[in-house]
Amino acid sequence: MAAAQTYNDKVVTQFAVMTIVWAIVGMLVGVIIAAQLAWPALNFDVPYLTYSRLRPLHTNAVIFAFGGCALFASSYYVVQRTCHVRLLSDRLAAFTFWGWQTVIVLAAITLPLGITTTKEYAELEWPIDILITVVWVVYAIVFLGTIAKRRVKHIYVANWFFAAFILAVAMLHVVNSAALPVSLWKSYSAYAGVQDAMVQWWYGHNAVGFFLTAGFLGMMYYFVPKQANRPVYSYRLSIVHFWALTFTYIWAGPHHLLYTALPDWAQSLGMVMSIILLAPSWGGMINGIMTLSGAWEKLRTDPVLRFLIVSVSFYGMSTFEGPMMAIKTVNALSHYTEWTIGHVHSGALGWVALVSFGTMYYLIPRLFGRELYSLKLVEVHFWIATVGIVLYITALWTSGIMQGLMWRAVNTDGTLTYSFVESVLAMHPFYVIRFFGGLLFLGGAILMAYNLWKTVAGARVAHVAVPAPAPAH
Amino acid sequence: MSFGHVLKLFTNPGSGWQAIHANRYSVGGVFIQHTAIFALIPAVAGYIGTTQVGWQVAGGDIVRLTAASAGRIAVLYYLAMLAGVGTVGWAIHWMGKTYGADQPIGQCLALASFTATPLFLIGVLQSYPVLWLNLIAGLPVLAFTTYIFYSGVPIMMEIPPERGFLFSSAMLAFGLVTLVALLAVTALLWGSGYAPTFTS
Repeated sequence: MAAAQTYNDKVVTQFAVMTIVWAIVGMLVGVIIAAQLAWPALNFDVPYLTYSRLRPLHTNAVIFAFGGCALFASSYYVVQRTCHVRLLSDRLAAFTFWGWQTVIVLAAITLPLGITTTKEYAELEWPIDILITVVWVVYAIVFLGTIAKRRVKHIYVANWFFAAFILAVAMLHVVNSAALPVSLWKSYSAYAGVQDAMVQWWYGHNAVGFFLTAGFLGMMYYFVPKQANRPVYSYRLSIVHFWALTFTYIWAGPHHLLYTALPDWAQSLGMVMSIILLAPSWGGMINGIMTLSGAWEKLRTDPVLRFLIVSVSFYGMSTFEGPMMAIKTVNALSHYTEWTIGHVHSGALGWVALVSFGTMYYLIPRLFGRELYSLKLVEVHFWIATVGIVLYITALWTSGIMQGLMWRAVNTDGTLTYSFVESVLAMHPFYVIRFFGGLLFLGGAILMAYNLWKTVAGARVAHVAVPAPAPAH
Repeated sequence: MSFGHVLKLFTNPGSGWQAIHANRYSVGGVFIQHTAIFALIPAVAGYIGTTQVGWQVAGGDIVRLTAASAGRIAVLYYLAMLAGVGTVGWAIHWMGKTYGADQPIGQCLALASFTATPLFLIGVLQSYPVLWLNLIAGLPVLAFTTYIFYSGVPIMMEIPPERGFLFSSAMLAFGLVTLVALLAVTALLWGSGYAPTFTS
């Protein structure tokens, strides 16, 4: 009898808890390497603690461990609620949880040991890549299979975004990680030279586009209307947003390779597609902001809304900045400088992390059938996180532009005005400011962990019955 | 009388904004009595800083700009600030409809211009162009500017504070986007041969 069916919230809870854990671990590693940039002696001459090994650990931990767990948790939650049905299989869902955690633990062991493919955001060696592929295919089966057995005719737009994220990431991962193993922990890429670079950045930029954008937009389209208690401002716009975004993003990768050996036409194509990308990105931002704007009278009592508003604003800002930086002339100055790192973090901290925090504040109390322990602490978290982001990105804007100008400065006789090490020296004060910005952001995440811990301590995961779909569906 | 308003705004933002609101500035009034005067501070300070004091990068020689190059930049800088205030004022007016506010454009310009006062004042530090020092001094001032903006929007636009929060956040995002656009335009101009002329 269908009425007795409940949602599978166990796997959602597991992923949600690990989201918080990996947020703190990943951001802590980020703060450590930010400190190493300012004070290089902090690697203590231990090979496992060198910047070059910890940096991929940081990026993998925040993107795939923190971001990944947040996406697993929210996609499993949303697909069940919007399809009025339990997940396809509890066993397979549990496999994705334990499989994904294994991948993360293996990454945390191999990267500090120096085992790496050297492909940015795809550093893990081939045995781990195979495990990722297996887990991901099972994830796709669980997610799409749940949609297939839905009891509501319509497939809600958030699920479209989640599905695009799952399918695109599967394709990107398999193509980019194709490699020839020479031993258990060493392989060579299947591509050579500029082809390898192009495949790598086709992967790299779409990891941003589908992992860090499409998936989190799925989150936005469910949790923003839920928290605001209003329908999406324009459902039609959300559909246009979906198709335009998925079509355009896939072409933007070459903007990572401007002024390299990549053929010029491919560079120009990447630049033009990146600029076009502004339109769908802003369509989505406007949809999010307008949905939230109608709920202004709730702001007084609901600090979680602030996270969502500011995250969508940062989404708008960084998706404006990206196309600007993809313009060749601007890129000639900004590429390889701290400006790029600042841009990534205005997206990663401002958009991805804040929307995830907002989602976790929504999700975790509900999963345990409790009220949030302290709204006051949520508000404190909001402010220190925001101040942290502002410190971080202003420091890197300023230092990035300065760095770019120093690198290109030439004397009248054509020699370089500054040596490279002089530009490194000039970065020091900004690295210190950036370290404090990151420290504040990490502090906010720890505060959130404490708040959520106090919220759920002693409680058990609530069993939520699947409601019967309304007759209209 | 704009000076009296500024003083009041700094000591007690709430009543400062009420006084500015009651004054009902016209478009020309705001520009002549406030923006045009205060925007002179960073422009002049920047000129002095880049031509007379100069700056040092990584312990190298002191770098300065030639007077002609710095003069051109100072004029452009001044005009860009006036245009910036004008654009933000216009955007406040335009976006106001979404947030249930319908104030004359003079009030919106006054909101934009008076909000920028702390930034104009800290501009005096540009006479001593040490980048990281300017950044550290600028950040608390930026925070204060944000604070007076958030407190000013509900008063100047005559809307409830919660609605004002959303309005202010939307404007802040608009401001950030404008800032990024300025960065990009600067990089474009610099890259197209309009770089300043250095001298040491």
